[in-house]
Amino acid sequence: MDLIKSIFNRVADPRVYFLTMACMLALIVWKREKVATNAVGYGALGVFTLFFVLGGLDPNFRLIITKPDNVPIVGLIFLLVFFVWYSMKQAVLNDRRITKGEGPEEKAEADRVWVWPDLVYTELISLILCSVVLIVWSILLKAPLEQPANRAVTPNPSKAPWYFLGLQEMLVYFDPWLAGVVLPSLIIVGLIAIPYIDKNEKGNGYYTFNERKVEITLFLFGFVVLWCSLIVLGTFLRGPNWNFFGPFEYWDLHKLEALTNVNLSEYFWVRMLGQPLPSTRIAGPLGYLLRELPGLLLVLFYIGALPVILGRKLFRSYYEKLGAPRYYVGAFLFLMMMALPIKMLLRWIFNLKYIVGIPEIFFNI
Amino acid sequence: MAEKKAVGHAYNVDFLNVVFAASSIFLFLTTVWMVWSDFDREWKGTQRRFSQLQIEVTRAQLQQTEKSVNKTRLAQLEQQLAAAKKSEEDNKAKIDEIRGRLAEIDARLSRANQAATFAKATYDVDRYAFEVARDKKEANIEERQKKIEDEGRHVGDLNLAVDKITAERAGVAAELGKFTGAAAQIQKDLDALLFEQNRLQKQLDAIQPTVVNTYLLNAPLIDFMAPTLTIRQTVLPNVVDDVNFTKVPKMDRCTTCHLSIDSKGYEKYPQPYTTHPNLSVYLGSDSPHPLNKIGCTVCHQGMGGATSFIDAVHYPRDEKQREAWEKQYGWEQPHMWDFPMLPTQMTEASCEQCHRSEVYVPNAPALTLAYATYERGGCYACHKTRGFENLRKPGPILTKISSKVTPDWVKTWVRNPRAVKDVTWMPRIWYNSNSSSPQDAVRNEVEINAAVAYLFANAEDYQFPVASPPKGDAKSGEEIVRSIGCLGCHVLDEKDRTEAGPRRTFGQPLKNIGSKTTYTWLYNWVKDPKHYNPNTYMPNLRLTDAQVADVATFLTTLTGPTGMAAQATPTPEQADAVLLDYLRNVLPLTEAQNQLNKMDGNTRQLELGKRVIGRYGCYSCHEIKGFETTQPIGTELSEEGTKLVTRLDFAFAPINHSDKLGWFHQKLKDPRSFDAGRVLEPLEKLRMPDFGVSEVENERLQTAIMSFQRDIQPASAMPARTANRDYIVSGRALVRRQNCVGCHEIEGDGGEFRKLVAEPTLAPPLLTPEGAKVQPDWLYAFIQGPITIRPWLKVRMPTFGLDDARLNAVIRYFGATANSIGMFRTYDAKDLTAMAGPGHELFTLLKCQQCHVLGEIPKDQPTANLAPDLRMARERLQPDWIPQWLQSPLKIQPGTRMPMFWPDYPKSSFPQMDGNAEMQIRSIRDYLETLQGGPSPKKPGNAAISTN
Repeated sequence: MDLIKSIFNRVADPRVYFLTMACMLALIVWKREKVATNAVGYGALGVFTLFFVLGGLDPNFRLIITKPDNVPIVGLIFLLVFFVWYSMKQAVLNDRRITKGEGPEEKAEADRVWVWPDLVYTELISLILCSVVLIVWSILLKAPLEQPANRAVTPNPSKAPWYFLGLQEMLVYFDPWLAGVVLPSLIIVGLIAIPYIDKNEKGNGYYTFNERKVEITLFLFGFVVLWCSLIVLGTFLRGPNWNFFGPFEYWDLHKLEALTNVNLSEYFWVRMLGQPLPSTRIAGPLGYLLRELPGLLLVLFYIGALPVILGRKLFRSYYEKLGAPRYYVGAFLFLMMMALPIKMLLRWIFNLKYIVGIPEIFFNI
Repeated sequence: MAEKKAVGHAYNVDFLNVVFAASSIFLFLTTVWMVWSDFDREWKGTQRRFSQLQIEVTRAQLQQTEKSVNKTRLAQLEQQLAAAKKSEEDNKAKIDEIRGRLAEIDARLSRANQAATFAKATYDVDRYAFEVARDKKEANIEERQKKIEDEGRHVGDLNLAVDKITAERAGVAAELGKFTGAAAQIQKDLDALLFEQNRLQKQLDAIQPTVVNTYLLNAPLIDFMAPTLTIRQTVLPNVVDDVNFTKVPKMDRCTTCHLSIDSKGYEKYPQPYTTHPNLSVYLGSDSPHPLNKIGCTVCHQGMGGATSFIDAVHYPRDEKQREAWEKQYGWEQPHMWDFPMLPTQMTEASCEQCHRSEVYVPNAPALTLAYATYERGGCYACHKTRGFENLRKPGPILTKISSKVTPDWVKTWVRNPRAVKDVTWMPRIWYNSNSSSPQDAVRNEVEINAAVAYLFANAEDYQFPVASPPKGDAKSGEEIVRSIGCLGCHVLDEKDRTEAGPRRTFGQPLKNIGSKTTYTWLYNWVKDPKHYNPNTYMPNLRLTDAQVADVATFLTTLTGPTGMAAQATPTPEQADAVLLDYLRNVLPLTEAQNQLNKMDGNTRQLELGKRVIGRYGCYSCHEIKGFETTQPIGTELSEEGTKLVTRLDFAFAPINHSDKLGWFHQKLKDPRSFDAGRVLEPLEKLRMPDFGVSEVENERLQTAIMSFQRDIQPASAMPARTANRDYIVSGRALVRRQNCVGCHEIEGDGGEFRKLVAEPTLAPPLLTPEGAKVQPDWLYAFIQGPITIRPWLKVRMPTFGLDDARLNAVIRYFGATANSIGMFRTYDAKDLTAMAGPGHELFTLLKCQQCHVLGEIPKDQPTANLAPDLRMARERLQPDWIPQWLQSPLKIQPGTRMPMFWPDYPKSSFPQMDGNAEMQIRSIRDYLETLQGGPSPKKPGNAAISTN
C-alpha cells in the first residue's frame, strides 16, 4: 500500500503531473475513437471514484479532500472527466455520421421546441435541484470560525480562492506583473477575440471534432490542462510555503525545497562565456541591459519574429486562410498561452529562473 | 421515454412532471432540514436541562427559606392583620363613604392634571414661536408678548388648581388612613418578613414550564420574537479582544451554557451548570473581578463568541479528560484558534493580562509557585524575560572557584549534577538525549576538560580570612543547622526537588557538600558569606566561632555518591579536532587551521574552554571572568505565551504538531529531544541543558511561560495605580527574591520552614500584620542588625546586609499592606500614658508577666508559651496596634497562645473602669508605654534612624 501511495506521491510532482496531463490530452485526442465508448467514460469515473474512496483511507489525503473548501474541487474533477469524455464521445459519433454523409445527430432532431414546457419547465426543475444541492451543501459543509485575520501573520499556505489557483500556480514561474496582470488580461482579451479570429463556420450547434481539430485541441489544452488541472494541483498538492506535497504526504511545515534556479544571463555570460556578469563591471542601466541582452533578444524574437516565421512556414495555411490581422492576433495569443508551458519546461529542465531578470527595475520575465 | 415524446417536444412532459414533483419534495425536505439544522443548537439542550435544574434548586431554596422564617412572628403578624381587617369590616359604611369621596376627587384631579399639562404643552410651543419671531424682529411683537404672558399666567392658574385638589385628596386619604392604616402597616411588615420567600416563589412561577414558555416561544421560525432559550452574552468595554487591526470590547457568550457560573447554589452540579469555585474572588458581584466587568475569556482564553463546546476551544486538564472529551464531544487538538482555553490548572497565567507589572499576584498561588520555580531554575538568566530583569545571576560565582573545589570534582559534577546532588537546580549540559552516543563521549569529555581548565585558569586567588580553622563538633553542628533556620533555604533530607519546593531550594542543597569542598572553605563561608561573594543572598547568622566550627564540621560529614565518571579519555588530536570545529564555525578553514597551529597545547585548551562556555552559556548563570558583558544565549520569553504554534519547531517530535503546550511540555521534559531524527553537525545541535523537571515543575513552568503575554488589555482593565500599590508590588517581589517567604508566611504565601517546626509559636512569625504592628524606624534598625526578641527560640533572624533601598522597600511594603498612614507619626507621650495607673492594676490582674518577659524569662512555663519582653513595646510596637492585638490576637496571628481576654468585646468580664473593655485595653497599652529598658536594635548616635 505504501508503495502505491509513494508512486502516487511521485506522479503528483508538478513536473510529472503537468506532463501527464498534457499527454492524457494528446492521448484523448489521438485515440478518440477508443475514448468514445461508455466503457472508457464510466471506467474513468469508476477509477477516479475508487481512487478517492481508497485514498480516503489515508488520513493525510482524507484531511485534504474533506476540507470544506476543497470539496468543490473534488466535484470539479469528476465533472471535468465526465464532460470531456461526453463531448468527445458525442463528437466522435457525429464525425462518424458526417463521414457517412448523414449529418450530425443534432440536425436530425426537430430544430424547434416549445418554450413551455421544454425550456421553462426544465429551467425550473434545474433551479429547484440546484437549490437542493446548495442547501444540503451549506448544511453539511460548515465554514469554520477562525482567529481574526492578521495581515502581519498570514496563513501558510496562503491560497487564492479555488478559481484563481491556476493564476497562483503561474506565480511560481512568472513575476506578479506578468502572472497576475498581463496574462490574466490577455486571457480575457483572448476569449473576447476568439469569435473574431475564428473563421471556421463548421461545428456550429453540434458536437464534432474532425471539423474543428485545432480549435478544440487548443481549447482543451488551455482550459483543461493549463487552467483546471492547475487548480487541482494548487488545491490538493500545494502545501505550506507553497511547497509541493504528494496526495498522501503530511503537510510538514519544515519541508525544504532547494533554491537552485539561475537566470538566463548567468547561463550566457558566466557559464557559456566564462565572464563575470556585465553589471558587475558597468554600473547603471547600460550594465543590466547588456547583461540581459540575450534574454531581451530572445523575448523580442518570441513575440516579434516568431509569428512571422511561423506564418511563413508552419502556420502558412492559417496565414492564408485568416489573413494577416487575424493571423497575427491569433498567433500572438497562442504564443502567450504557450509561454506558460514553455517557461515551466525551461524551469524544470534548466532550472531557469528568469529569461530576462532585471531586479534593478523590478522587470523580470 | 422517447416513444411518448410528443411532436415538437424535446422531453416527455409526464416524465418532467414526475421529476418536478420529486425535486419539489426534495426541496421541501431540505428546507425543513435547513430550518431544523439552524434551530437545533447544542446550547439549547443545555439550557433546557438547566431550566429543570433551576426549578429544582429554586424549590430547595424556597423550602429552606420557608423553614428559616420566624414562625412566631409570622403567626403574630397574621393574627394582627386579621384583627385589623375585622376592625375595618366594622367601619365599612364610613370607609365606603370616604372611598366614594376619594374617587370623586381622583376624577377631578385627573381632569385638572390633564388641563394643566396640555396648557403647558401649548404654551411651550407658542413661547418658542414667539422667541423665533422676536429674534427675526417680526411685526406685532408687543401684542404677541402680551398673549404669551397671559398664556403663562393661565398655566400657573391651572397648576394652582391641581395643587388645591391634591391637598384636598391628601386630607381625605388621611381620614381613610385612620381606619385602614393599621392593616396596611401590618401587611408591609409581613411582606418584609416574607420578602425572600415571595421573591423565590415569584421566580419559581416564572420559570415553571408552560406550553407557551416551553414550546411556543421556542418553536422553530417563531423563536426570533421572545424565546426563553437565548444566547446570553456579556459585553465588556474594559477588557478587549485584539482583532489585529483594532481592539474591540470582549463579548463573552460562555454564560449561554455556564448559566449559573456566578450564582450560588449550584456547586454540586457538574459542568457546565456548576458555580465558579471561587466566587468571592471571581465573578461574584462583590468580588474584585465581577462577571460584568471581567467576563470569562480574558482569564480562561478560548473563543468567547462561540456557543458550542468545540468552537469555544475548550482544552482538557489532563490525559483522562482529553480521552473523555474525545469520546463525548469528538474533541481534537484545536488548530483553528490561536489561543485555546488554558487547562484549568494554568488559568492563573492570565492574571498577568491585567496585573502586568506584578511578578507576584495575590490569590494566585499556582502562578506564584510558577514564578518561584521559574526564578529558581534560573530560566531568566538565559532567557530575557520582562519582570525578571536585573536579577542576580542565579548560580554561584566561579571567579574564585579554585579555592572552593577541585577540577576533578567540577568535571564529575557537570557530567551529571543530579547524580551528585539529586535535588540541585544545576542542569545537565553534556550527555543529554542528543549527546549520549559513544561518539559524543569523546567530544563531551574534550569540552568538559576545556571548560573546567578555563574556569580554573581564570579564577582569582582567594585568601581565606581564617586560614586553618579549628575543628568543631559535628553533632552540635547538625542541631544548629536543623534548628537555626538554614533549612528555610537549603535542603538537607529531601530526595525530591518538587517536594522541597522552590523556596527551600533557594540555596544550594546541603547534601553531599562534604565531598564537594574543603572544611576551610565551609568554615569561612558560614562565618561570613559576603567575604567570599559580596553579592550573595546568603545571610550572616551571627554564629560564634565555635558554632561556625561545629556547623562546618557537620557539613563536611555530608557525603554521598561520587557522580558520573569520565566516559572517554580523549587524545590531544581529538581535542584539536574539536577546537578546529569551533574555529571553523567562525573562520575560513585555512585561517582556522593557521590559528590552531599558532597555539600551544595549553592555549588551545583555554581557547576551546572559552568557546565552550560561550556556546553553552555557563556565564548566563555564573559569574565567569571574560564573560562580564556577554549577552545570554536563550530566546527572549517576554511574550512567549502569545507565540503562535506555527513559530515553534516540532521537528520530528512524536507529539501533536498543533499543540503549543505540548511543545513546551516536551521542551522542558527533554530540551534536546527536538534533535531526534535530524542529521546535525555538533555545533548545530540544540544546547538548552536538561533540568530534570518533574511533571509538577513542568506544569508550573508552562504556567509561567503562558503568563508571558503581549500587551493587550487597556489601562482601564488594570488595577488602579497608587503609590501604595507600587510599594506593595515591588515589596512582594523583594520578599520573594530575598526568600523571606522561605521562613515567614507573608500575605498567605510561603513560610515553608514553619512546616519543619513542630510548634507554631516557636516558628518564624507571620509577617502579614508587620506594618501595622511595628514602628518603621525600629524595623529599619532590626533588619539591619537583628536583636533577640524571643531568646527561647532556636530559629534566628539572620543579618541580610540589605542596602538602604531594599530596607526602605521592605518597610514601605509592610506599611502599604497594613494601609498605614506612613512612616512618620507623632504621638503625645502624655496622652499615651494617661491611664497607666489603672493599666498597671489590670496588668497584674491578667498575669501578663506569667508568659511575657519583663527583664527576665518567666520560669515554670513551657517555651511554647513564652512571649516577648514587654519593655520593648514602647519602642517597637505601634501604639494603635496594641489595643487591636489585645482585642483579638487570634485574628491577627492565627495559632498564637496569647489569650483572648475580651471575647465579648466591647463587653468586659472585668469590673474595672465600669466594665468598659475599650478603656481597659487602652489603659494596659498606656501602662506598657511606661515600661523602659528593654533590648533595642537601635544603635545610639546612628543618624539614619533618628527620625521619630
